[in-house]
Amino acid sequence: MVNAAISPSRADYYQVLADTLPKDALVVTSLGNASYLWAAMHHRPENFYFEDAMGLALPLALGLAIAQPERPVIVVEGDGALMMHMGALVTVGAVAPANLTVLLIQNGVHAASGGQALTNANLDLAALARSAGIGRAQNIATPEAFASAMRAPADGDGTRFLVLSARPDTEVVKPPIAFDPVLTKHRFTTAIGAPRYVPTMFGGGRLQKE
Amino acid sequence: MVASGKQSADPHRPSEILDTLKNLGFGVAIAVPDSWLGEILVKIEQEPTMRLVRATHEEEALAIACGTRLGGLRTAMFVQNAGLLSMGAGMVSLAQRYQFPLLMLVSYRGTIEDPVFYHTPKGRVTEPVLKGIGLAYALADRHRPIGPQIERAATYAEEASCPFALLLSQEDVQW
Repeated sequence: MVNAAISPSRADYYQVLADTLPKDALVVTSLGNASYLWAAMHHRPENFYFEDAMGLALPLALGLAIAQPERPVIVVEGDGALMMHMGALVTVGAVAPANLTVLLIQNGVHAASGGQALTNANLDLAALARSAGIGRAQNIATPEAFASAMRAPADGDGTRFLVLSARPDTEVVKPPIAFDPVLTKHRFTTAIGAPRYVPTMFGGGRLQKE
Repeated sequence: MVASGKQSADPHRPSEILDTLKNLGFGVAIAVPDSWLGEILVKIEQEPTMRLVRATHEEEALAIACGTRLGGLRTAMFVQNAGLLSMGAGMVSLAQRYQFPLLMLVSYRGTIEDPVFYHTPKGRVTEPVLKGIGLAYALADRHRPIGPQIERAATYAEEASCPFALLLSQEDVQW
């Protein structure tokens, strides 16, 4: 639940994330300040920034967690974005990759579109996630509690879903890097050593590790 | 290959699709159900070298597919053409914008050969919509083996760095 007067800022949570981030973690950030601020505070090639495509960061991160089971995958999504593709919660609950951590910024507004009202700003999103099959879901209201959750050992029992109550941040942060989508993808795949498509002259190429 | 229990000299086209995907190293398939797709999805689930993810919506499936491909798995999608109509925003602003090579195997409902009449509204607009959103596609030719058509569609996606949709008939894909 959001209390705009006392809730921490996104930056407060991001500082904790930067301080507790596992070295080999892959981070997917939703559109708007979710990406802009993270790029400003902790840019690294293992970040995958969304430029647009609202609501699709969570399912993309699910796919990434499936493909990279040995690495922690952390996705930062917003409450408004989640509501656009609520079904993704069910899919995450069904697949339940233990290497996936969902950080859901609950600020009660569509911050990326200027702070417009959500359809419902007062949902218990951790309860919703539990109903969708994500057992390790909790609402968090302070950076200290977030730090404790991030430092808690992974118990290997499904996806972790942390709802971070935050005050709205409608002022757009200017990102320090270009958000060219293809460059973002290329930088990311190079950093993780993902296999590349190696063509043959008449088709039938394969993905191969370099 | 012939489906078990059938006596036919013709290759079993859904088996050829599955065999081709395995031979090309597809490690994962992301799917949303259609009645024509039901059995081939079960067969994929039984494959030790492939993983099936059942999504709740086609645009969500598209994003999961982008994620698996980003992580280095060759990825196929199985959806009905209704799903192509409902995934437009994600297609242009994620899959095409970031240039993800994805093979989309699509049950093409609502053509004149589809006995289920209520699919007609989707059939009549599918190709104009694909052209409108710039999604590369082809209709599978039922008079030619399906395996090489799958391979060419997969190669197109990789060489052009974009999603490619192959529109399939009932006999192509229904097990």
